[in-house]
This record gives sequence, structure tokens and C-alpha cells, in this order.
Amino acid sequence: MNGMHIIFRADRLSISVAVFVAFFSVLIVCYSLGAMRGKTRLGLYYGCVLITFLGSLGAVFADNLVLFIVFWGFLGIPLYLLIGMGEAERASYTAKKTFILIGGTDCFMLLGLAILWQLAGHPGLAQFRMSGIALPLTSTAAIMAYLCLLSGTLAKAGALPFHTWVPDASEDTHASVAAFLPAALDKLLGIYFLMRLTLEIFHMTPAMNTFLMALGSITIIAAVMMALVQHDLKRLLGYHAVSQVGYMILGIGTGSVLGIAGGLFHMLNNTLYKSCLFLAGGAVEQRAGTTDLGRLGGYAKAMPITFGTFLIASLAIAGVPPFNGFASKWMIYQGILDNGQYGGGLWVVWLAAAMAGSALTLASFMKLIHAVFLGQPSTQAAQLPGDSRESGPAMLTPMVILAALCVVFGVLAYSIPLRLVVFPSIHAHPEFLGLWRPVAATFLLLLGLGAGVVIYWLGAAMKTRETKPFVGGETLADFSAMRVSGTEFYKTVQDMPFLNTVYRLAEKKAFDVYDVGAKLTFSFSRVLGACHSGELPRYLAWCLAGTLIVLYLLMR
Amino acid sequence: MTYLMYIGYLVVFGVAVTAVIGLLASWIDRKVTARVQYRVGPPLLQPVIDLVKLLGKETLIPSGASRTMFLAAPLIGFASVIAVSTILWTNSLSGGRSFLGDLVVVVYLLAVPSMSIILGGFASGNPLASVGASREMKLVMAYELPFVLACLVPVILSGYTLKLGDIVGYQTQHGAIALSGGGALALIVCILCMQAKLALVPFDAPEAETEICGGVLIEYSGPVLALYRLMKTMLLFVLPFFIIIVFMGGLRLDGIHLVLFVLKYVGLVALITVIRNTNPRLRIDQAMRFFWGPMTVVAVIAVGLALMGW
Repeated sequence: MNGMHIIFRADRLSISVAVFVAFFSVLIVCYSLGAMRGKTRLGLYYGCVLITFLGSLGAVFADNLVLFIVFWGFLGIPLYLLIGMGEAERASYTAKKTFILIGGTDCFMLLGLAILWQLAGHPGLAQFRMSGIALPLTSTAAIMAYLCLLSGTLAKAGALPFHTWVPDASEDTHASVAAFLPAALDKLLGIYFLMRLTLEIFHMTPAMNTFLMALGSITIIAAVMMALVQHDLKRLLGYHAVSQVGYMILGIGTGSVLGIAGGLFHMLNNTLYKSCLFLAGGAVEQRAGTTDLGRLGGYAKAMPITFGTFLIASLAIAGVPPFNGFASKWMIYQGILDNGQYGGGLWVVWLAAAMAGSALTLASFMKLIHAVFLGQPSTQAAQLPGDSRESGPAMLTPMVILAALCVVFGVLAYSIPLRLVVFPSIHAHPEFLGLWRPVAATFLLLLGLGAGVVIYWLGAAMKTRETKPFVGGETLADFSAMRVSGTEFYKTVQDMPFLNTVYRLAEKKAFDVYDVGAKLTFSFSRVLGACHSGELPRYLAWCLAGTLIVLYLLMR
Repeated sequence: MTYLMYIGYLVVFGVAVTAVIGLLASWIDRKVTARVQYRVGPPLLQPVIDLVKLLGKETLIPSGASRTMFLAAPLIGFASVIAVSTILWTNSLSGGRSFLGDLVVVVYLLAVPSMSIILGGFASGNPLASVGASREMKLVMAYELPFVLACLVPVILSGYTLKLGDIVGYQTQHGAIALSGGGALALIVCILCMQAKLALVPFDAPEAETEICGGVLIEYSGPVLALYRLMKTMLLFVLPFFIIIVFMGGLRLDGIHLVLFVLKYVGLVALITVIRNTNPRLRIDQAMRFFWGPMTVVAVIAVGLALMGW
């Protein structure tokens, strides 16, 4: 084959992603040294982490789609093993579900690769890049190939409709695994390949762009609405891992340079804050022994550093300026606007979904912060022994580094991530439609904080006295039932007309591809099973019926 | 150089002018409310006296509260209001050029004061504050959707720009956005969202004195409460100012336009006062349904009209 000898190749995009892969591998190993102490099967655990690291590097640098899919498919095995190591009862079921969803879409990818090879005449990423000729998405075959390859990236990154493994896996596995795979590496790989597909291999049409944007918007809203009503810390974070992918797909789907840069930037930002959230959640889990939101509460006092990192990461994911999540969302919005200038009016829907989704994200994280760190401690949390209950340095260091990067990537967005990573990766330097001066704005915010401190100082703010909380004149300690855990804050949303129907269906897993698929498969096999009852007369009847049909067909 | 300029704008306009106008507006609000209820009402300096009095009181911190967060939360909200105010002033006083941030930045920063109140309420460890804060959060979720849609109307009409300077520039040439059909509807939506952002009746469920004793602010006292009060007072200027910029032609300093600006501002404050004095409090689920239902529909119609150029 012409050009097949080029097997591995590094360009700016793959180098950027590889650096992040390596960075997260180091952080997770560091965190695991503290978090996994005393656990069994550590050899397998660290082995899987290393293999995942190497496999991801292979996939990122592969310059040939066949080789790429080999690495990509191989990554499913350590993923399966790592999720299966979780301590939850359902862990092995979840691992199987993940493996089937990821493996199933990998089969689609193979099919897509076959069609692509037939159409283009070669499986090389290099040829697409060097010739600069991308396949137009005009023929049915090209569209089929694109959709097949897309399904793999969607399952890996955890977008609708193949997202259902992400919340399950986040809940059932160790927090470090959740922070490593669904939150960081799988996003990096999934979106990396989506970029390759969309920018280099295929030439997008407006219809396909609209499809991607619709998919992104639905992913944002559906996942964040599910996150609002969750009762488990890690599962809630898992739904946000899904929701954030929506922004990346939306950004890349705009087809505008600004939106694509925003999508790529958001991918980097998401890995930072989402990993930080999972790691901080894991630290709380280690202290509390549970991730049930109803049984947590009041951990800010015991774990101030963990709370600080969690708060920064929450503000970043909710898109509060000047943190990094805002910078990338802001670019994606401009991408949508840029796309909308030339298209129909649908862009308003995508933009409103993305912006309202960010308010819902904020709401969901406020609930989480209340239920885990603020609010009143649950009876269980109040009884924890010891004065210093903060995690050890091995666990704190990665969290602090990630939280610091959330600030740095937000405030110095232009001079560090955009200039060094994002713009070189897409070989473009787009003009912004809007205006955002993060350094100056941060400066203003700090001045504002200073002004507030001056007001405190003018008054007697430091002259504090501790009192009992005022609850209508009653003593709070006497009424433990008065505790508001925060788990049910958004029951109002769940009870809204129309939404309540959707939530009920979602509870029955009507939107879970895996579950619906399993039901279909089992009902099919039940029909076949009913035919094979093991009774001789019935088999004879089938034979007779078959013979009659054959006879009829022959005599006709 | 620019940083010196920003400091100047922040101190003079962002803090001082905004606070003075806000205090004046809150006096108007209280005076009008009193007159509606056949009371005499407070003297002009009463809002200032209230703040000074609070500054002299000691700060009570409930046992079980997360101390740092409890004290830091008002600072976050206060800083964001000052930042928004400075952004709006620099963009208005620089004659069409844009500084610091665009519409998206302002919309996002305007959600931070609510967030700071929520964090403060959560940190106080009081169940009533938790309930109030959760209501505030649900209110934010509810009004953010129509608010975002309504804010897109000026973007569409002024030719797909997010820069505040360009939106004002468009209005200087073509007349105020609010004079178009879509703009008028969007303005109505924005005014009601402003009412909710200020947590005033009918959307005062988060504070609901008679139900949850002030809700989010129940444990706050002394200088910390003064800071929240000052933040809300300043919002009473910043929010109408924002609406005037994006819908009603913005601030122009030449002669008659300055008078018109004052009239528009006083009109908006009077409207806020009238709405809050003539309505009962909505339950939080009713408020959510109001924003996700009729208000979103109106906002969508406004966007549709704007896309057709009306």
C-alpha cells in the first residue's frame, strides 16, 4: 500500500493531547498512592493504568486508521478491568455494560473504516492530511462511514445516545478510575478522534454540522437535567461528565474556527476540572465511607483544602468568570453565533441550550456543595473521630495542581492554553466576535474583593461572636429531623408538568441504549425459546409446517 | 496605563457613583412604598444610616457554620457587582469602544451575586437558610432561560455582535432596540427577570420574611449583612443600567440624552416598585412555571420577530 510505511506521526494536536494524557497518568498514579493504600489487587490496578497510558499514546500518535483502531479497541480491556475492580456490588455488571457499549461501537467503527477505505482507497490519516483532500459527505456511503466512526467517538467520550456507561461507571468504580478514564482520558481520545474525523478525514456539510450541534445541545440539557436529581456524589459527577461533552461536540459542530477552537479548549478545561471534582469526591468518600448525598454534609470544616479545590472546580465547570470553563464556553458561543450568521434561526436554540445549561450546571453543583461540604453535618458525619481529617499529601497534591490550573487556564487563557496548545493544534488564529479580557477582569474582581474587605474593616466585622442558629426560636440540636440534606432541593423540577413524565421514563431506563437493546435481544430470544420447548410433537409440527411451506413454494 | 484607568473607573464609577445612585433608588423605592401604604416614609439619608448602623454592630456567626465561607460569600457577590458595574461604565463612557467584556461576560457575572447569596446561606448551617438558598437557586435556573433568550434579541437586531459598544452604536444610528416588536417583548421579559434577580415581590420566595424569616440572610448580621445590603442596593442600579444599555439606547452624555437616561432609569425603578407593591408572593414552583412557561414563550416569540427583522 502506498504510504502504509508511515505508522506513527506527531503533529501539534496529537502532541497536545499526548501531553495531557501523560500529565493525567502521573497525577492519577500520585493520587492512587494515597487513595488505594491497603486495597487488594494493586498490581493489576497500576498495570491497567500504565497499559491505558501506553495504549492512549499509541492511539494518539497512530497515523494510520487501522493501527489507530487497534489501539482504540485495546483500550476497552483495561477500562473493563479497572471498572470491574470497583467495590460496589454492581461493579462487574457495570464493567460488562461498559465493555458491550464500547466494544459494540468499536464494531461500528470497523465497519466505518471498511467503507472509508473503500471510498478513499487508503486507511492513512497521513494521506488525508498531506493531500488536503477530505471526503465530502454527499454520498450515502460517506455518510454511513462518518456515522459509524462517529458512534465510536460518542461512546468513548460519553455523549448521547451512548452515554449510559459513564454515570454507572462513575458511581461503581474507584474515584481515581473515574477521574482517569471517563473524566480525562476518554474525553481526550474521543474528542481527539472527533476532531480528526471532522476536520481532516471528512468535509462537513451544513446538514451534518446541524446534526452535531443538535446532538451536543441535547446532550448538554438531558444530562444536566438528570444530574440535578441524583442522590449519589459520583453518579452526579458522572452525568456532568456527559453534559460537558455536549459543549465540545457543539463547538466542533459549529464548523466555525472559533467554535472548533472553543471545543478543543473546552476538552482540555473539562479534563482539568472534572478530574479535580472526582478526586475531591474520592477524598470525601475515603473519609466518609459513602457517596450517598443524604449521609454526607458539613465536610468543609474537616477538609478545607479539599473543599477549596472542589469549589474552584465547581465554579469552573459552571462557567463562572474568570475560571477556565467560562473562557472556552465563551468561545463556543461565538462559534455558534458565527455559524448562525450564515444559517437559519436554529442557532438560537443551540445557544440558549448551552447558556441555560450552564445555569443548570451551577444549580447542580450548588446542591452538591451544600450536601457534601456545607449545610449541617449528618449524624454520621458528625461522629467521625479525630481533629485533622484532611487527606494526605499524595491525594491533595493532584487536586491542588488541577484547581490551580483551572485558574491559570482561565485568567491567562490567551497567553498559555490558547497560544501554546489550541491555536497551533488547529492551525488557525481566529478573530473573536466578542470581547473578554480575563487578566483585567480578574484584576477588577480582586479590587472589588479588596473594597469589600475595606468595608469589613471599617465596620467591626472581625468582632465576631458565636451564637446558636436561629430556627424559629427552637434549638436545632434537639430536632435532628430539621436537617436539610439538600438531596431533594430540585424535587420541584422533577414535579413540573411534562418533566415528571420524562423523569419517570428515564428512571425506567427508557433512554438507555444498553437497556433497550438488552430488552430487545431478550424478547427476541424469548420468542425463539418458546419455539424450542423440548417437546417432540411440537418439533414434528414445526417440521411439518416447514415442509408444507417448501412444498407450497415449489408447487406454486 | 490602562490598569490605572481601570482603577479610576472602578473607584469613581464602579463603587462610588453606583452606590450613591443605588442608595438614592432604594430611598425612592422605600418612599413610594410608604406613600402607597399611607405612611410618611423614611428621610433621604435613611438607606445610608441603615448601612452605617449595621457596620457598627458585631458579627454573629452561628455555631456549625463554615466560618470562612460564611464571611467570604458576600465578598464574592460584592466584587462581581463592582466588576459588572465597571464594565458597563467603561463601555458607556468611552464613546462606542468596547472594554473588558461583552454581553456574555455581563450575563454570566450577573449570576454571581445570586450564587454568593446561595453560598452564604448554605454556609450558615441553618436549615431555613438552606431552604431559602435552594429557592434562590431554582429561581436562577428558571429565569436564566428566558433572560438569555431575551438578551439575544439585541444581538440579532444589531447585526450579530456581542460587544456592548456595538449594540449601543447600532441603537444610536437606528433607534432603540425596544422600539422594534421583538425588542419590546424582550424588554418586558428582561424587566421581569430583573425583578427575580433582585428577589423582590412577587419573586421573593428565597427571603420570604413571613415563611422562612429572611431565608438566605437569616443568620447574617453586622458588617457582613451591610455588605449584602450594599450589593443589593448597587444591583438596583446595575441591572436597570444593563437593560438601558442593551434595549433602550444606552447612556449618552450630551444634553437631552442625559436627561432621558435619568428618566428611563427612574421609570425602571418606579416600575420595579409598582410591581413589588401590587403583587402577592409566588410559590417557588409557580415562579418556575411562570419563567419556563409563559416567559420563555414570549422570549421565543421575541427572538422569532427579531430574526425576521421586526
